[in-house]
Amino acid sequence: MATKTELNQEFENCKGQLKSYLLRLTTNVEDAEDIVQETYLKASTNIDSFRGNSTLKTWLFSIGSNLAKDLLRSKKRWPENVTDICKEAAMNNRQFFGEMMQIRSTSEQGNFEIKEHISFCLTCVTKSLPLEQHLVLLLKEVYQFKAREIAEIIDNTEAMVKYYLHSARSKMIEIFDHRCALINKGGVCHQCTELNGIFNPKQNASEELAKIQMVRDAEKKSKEELFELRTEIMRSLDPFESEAAELQLHHLKHNHRVMNEYLKKK
Amino acid sequence: MTIRKAPGKSRSKSTTVKTTFTRKTSISTKIEADAAIVWALLTNGSDYTRWNSTITSFEGDIEKGQRIKLKTTLDPKRTFKLKVLSMLSDKEMKWSSGAAPFFSGLRTYTLEHQGSATIFSMSEKIGGLMFPMAASSIPSFDESFEKFAEDLKTEAEIIQKQK
Repeated sequence: MATKTELNQEFENCKGQLKSYLLRLTTNVEDAEDIVQETYLKASTNIDSFRGNSTLKTWLFSIGSNLAKDLLRSKKRWPENVTDICKEAAMNNRQFFGEMMQIRSTSEQGNFEIKEHISFCLTCVTKSLPLEQHLVLLLKEVYQFKAREIAEIIDNTEAMVKYYLHSARSKMIEIFDHRCALINKGGVCHQCTELNGIFNPKQNASEELAKIQMVRDAEKKSKEELFELRTEIMRSLDPFESEAAELQLHHLKHNHRVMNEYLKKK
Repeated sequence: MTIRKAPGKSRSKSTTVKTTFTRKTSISTKIEADAAIVWALLTNGSDYTRWNSTITSFEGDIEKGQRIKLKTTLDPKRTFKLKVLSMLSDKEMKWSSGAAPFFSGLRTYTLEHQGSATIFSMSEKIGGLMFPMAASSIPSFDESFEKFAEDLKTEAEIIQKQK
């Protein structure tokens, strides 16, 4: 049991995390904000049904996750090479680059930082996972819920949570190992350094890259450890509050639109 | 009737029993993991090629009544078309193929809880009126079964240990 005051306090405490989680699931700011609102309304209406078997935070994430699943269930997964497809679309879209440059030069949240793009990239690529795996990966690796709590959030067994988590991690590790030039010299994607060259032309890219532990340790750590470092970067950033938030959200809006069109054609 | 134990080292061994009109290959292994984890691995077809070195491609959903297509290392050029006959969560699953009474196959997976571990068993019975003519050209399933069971055990135990 919990009182409305307790609910309001917990909601205020975890609202930011919930919103960033929902953004990373839906890749759409409006959807994330709507679901946060709806989560509060549902929780507030049904507070009497909260039995205290889980924490209020877990309960709120459970409501938010269910609402997100309702929205996403019928939608197709993004392809693993989402960044290639979106890059091609961006190259043919002068207006998009103009808007990005405008944000870069006028917004307080318009800095381009490679680590922000690494997090952005992970957001896009995890959309290639089956929905349950996507949820579990974010809940565990980014929002650091325990397997038992995630089982409550997604209303499944701890065993299934472990399975989803393992398969999601394995898939992501393989994708980034093949694609990401930051951790593998044979990687095909250099998008973060290319964009850094566009937005920060005076910066020394190797100096910037050396600030990122995942890049520094690329040759001495395992694929699994490098993926841990990748998720650590995402964990350290709030997509709504970071120094690059406006720039990255604009980029995400672009990718979301491009993917909708791409998947519709398929 | 002939019974043959397939050669192998430490991994579980398969057994093949042949009669004039049938051949049945079976294997059983103890997996130190929750049956739900083993079941999840067995019933998520799109994930098969990641952990199961005997499967090279998989199409379809493993749901009762659904048809699935898979390719195996046993005969890489051939696509096996199967139907999911029955599923009893965390316990048993059956797949069928072919057309009885001429030639058909029945693959059975069973899981048995044993404390915190699971006894995994898999068998495939093939046979029918045409079997005697085709028998010599059908490769042995032993090696493939042993690898399947070994991969499943490895993967399930890794997942079980995960925090």
